[in-house]
Amino acid sequence: MIRGLLRTAAAATALLTISVFSAAQAADTLVWWDFLGGGDGVRMKALIDEFNKEHAGKIQIEATTLDWGTPFYTKVQTSTAVGQGPDIMTYHESRIPLGISTGSLSVITPEEMAASEIKASDFEPADWKAAQDADGKQYAIPLDIHSAILYYNKTLLKQAGLLGDDGKPKGFDGIANWDAALAKLTANGVSGLTFPTADNASTWRVFYTLLNQEDGVFFKDGKFLDGDNLDKATTAIAEMQKWVKNGWTPKQTEYAGSIAQFTSGKAAMMINGVWEVPTMVDLQKKGQLFDWGAIQIPTLYAHAATWADSHSFAIPDRKGNPLTPAKRKEVLDTIHWFNEHSLEWAGGGHLPAFNPVRDSDAFKNLKPNSDYASLAATAVFDPVTPLAGVASPVYDAAGNYAMPAVNGEMDPADAASQMRDDLQGQVQ
Amino acid sequence: MMLKSKRNELLAAAVLMAPFVIIYGVLFVYPTLRMVQLSFTNAPLIGDGKFVGLDNFIRLSRDRLFSTAVWDTIYFVLLSVIPSTIFGLIIALGVNRLKGWVQSVVLACFFLPYILPVSLVYRIWAWMLDKDFGIAQYAIAPFNGGVNISIFRTIPLFMPAVGLITVWWLIGFNVLLFIAGLRNISKELYEASALDGAGRWVQFTHITWPLIWPVTVLVLTIQFILQLKIFDQVYLFSDGGRADATMVMVQYIYKQAFQQNHGGLGAAASLVLFLVIVIFSVLQFQLLKTRGGEK
Repeated sequence: MIRGLLRTAAAATALLTISVFSAAQAADTLVWWDFLGGGDGVRMKALIDEFNKEHAGKIQIEATTLDWGTPFYTKVQTSTAVGQGPDIMTYHESRIPLGISTGSLSVITPEEMAASEIKASDFEPADWKAAQDADGKQYAIPLDIHSAILYYNKTLLKQAGLLGDDGKPKGFDGIANWDAALAKLTANGVSGLTFPTADNASTWRVFYTLLNQEDGVFFKDGKFLDGDNLDKATTAIAEMQKWVKNGWTPKQTEYAGSIAQFTSGKAAMMINGVWEVPTMVDLQKKGQLFDWGAIQIPTLYAHAATWADSHSFAIPDRKGNPLTPAKRKEVLDTIHWFNEHSLEWAGGGHLPAFNPVRDSDAFKNLKPNSDYASLAATAVFDPVTPLAGVASPVYDAAGNYAMPAVNGEMDPADAASQMRDDLQGQVQ
Repeated sequence: MMLKSKRNELLAAAVLMAPFVIIYGVLFVYPTLRMVQLSFTNAPLIGDGKFVGLDNFIRLSRDRLFSTAVWDTIYFVLLSVIPSTIFGLIIALGVNRLKGWVQSVVLACFFLPYILPVSLVYRIWAWMLDKDFGIAQYAIAPFNGGVNISIFRTIPLFMPAVGLITVWWLIGFNVLLFIAGLRNISKELYEASALDGAGRWVQFTHITWPLIWPVTVLVLTIQFILQLKIFDQVYLFSDGGRADATMVMVQYIYKQAFQQNHGGLGAAASLVLFLVIVIFSVLQFQLLKTRGGEK
């Protein structure tokens, strides 16, 4: 009995010794937090596995996926305040103003970036700037540009004579042409266009796209929808309301419902995020989808513009427990590695933020991504204020005012001015 | 000698109570006091703020959204507390008349929703009521001129729908409490009254109702406190929609403190809710107790 116990104890000690020994030899661990679920999560896990394999014995990423939106940013804020948190984390560029105001983000210096071969010239200027504060200090490095795009059913467009020989829609630019196309496509129980009209974020993306196509400014110098920008906002909301009123766009459609309307052929076109591209690719692989394509949202007003955001990488500002310079170098090297390998990330529909990858032949052959890659040059990022960005008061305001107007429950002018007053009241 | 043993007794009591008092003090009293203190500052979610006196409370009294939240909370309490008590009693009366395994199966059916997490409840109902593909739309559309309607994006329908779902979800617990209460009523009372020629209705109004009253008060009070703190269902069903129009108090606190980083204002709103719950539940309990006692 006693002998047995002794033997167990000896074995345990030996095991402990071995594990301590191997831990001493093991690679550096990078603690990683992200908010990537669904297909994005699977894709990122594959990339992390590839990274870990390539860096075996040197760096190992230990990744945790947390809840998207407000819970993620609250957790980052509370943990960094007490010196806890990850070494590296994903961050929406649109939420960087919030991260700066809550002191969650650490500044990345030009010297550090240079040491890890991260160059501003490798990114679109608007995308790069969206990760900075007003003084031009860098708080994050973008990984992708994700945006809203126009998905279309080639069969239905062809029937309506709206498909060019290149397989892309023709004659959509300008309000008159666009409206005529929607009217033509709406027939036999099929709607011309669907987007999630019961979802605040989707409503915001379409609204912000149209507003920027009119050269409208949503927020500047502490003021929301200042001057004639209010009229431009009204015009944008009224246009979206018209789609619903005329029956071209189904009203009060949930996010999943909108996708189902498109994939079941009940809507000829759909505006949704690039992240739904894998949904279409997978359905088509299974032979359950018609011939489809995706392009940049057409230019309805003065010039091309599309709402966009970026998944970026940031280093948390852990109070009293900052990352050592050596660790920071490791993190930035890691970020650069992910940018160099962002072609795989593009499989999720996203556009790589890293120009060398987006300009590569491999990406140009990636369909349909390369068909809408043109939007990167005219992408407009969310207004720079802690009140804007994913799951923000601005998104809420889009749901509280623009969305009911789009569905015909409110006057567009009232919606625009109430949205302005509500948000202005939240400026401190 | 007497004095010494009394002192010993006190010492023993203090030693035995200390763990509880310390834990209670550290985990409940201290944070509550800090929350009260926070409500008089302009602190963000994390970190200290400046003392601003009653500013937060003045801001609350002027905030249209906060008054919406107060009214919606009261509305929701009315929609959920009373129906779930009445239907809980009716179902319990019915189940109580059943015997053996049939009773167990029926009781289990009513209790099953209660064990579901709120996220699942949300999924089930959002799926059934979906405007385009929900199965329940076949039953609802005829009342809307044959057109499908989005229940959770049509503001007047929102609170009644969430109230109904909440009653469906939580009623099992009330049924259980009522059944326990009904089983405590002696059968002899019913037998004696039957011999005296009392019918079912007379039996209910003169025996069951007065004797079940203490349980009814308990159910009402538990439900009342629970529903004043309503958050999950309203948050989930209004997410992505016109959240402001159906805002409830805890949701307002969450929005201010966690989304907008206004720790002080969030604390002030929490304090108001805390006082509302204390005042109303004491009032309600006293009122119902005396009324029951008169019977």
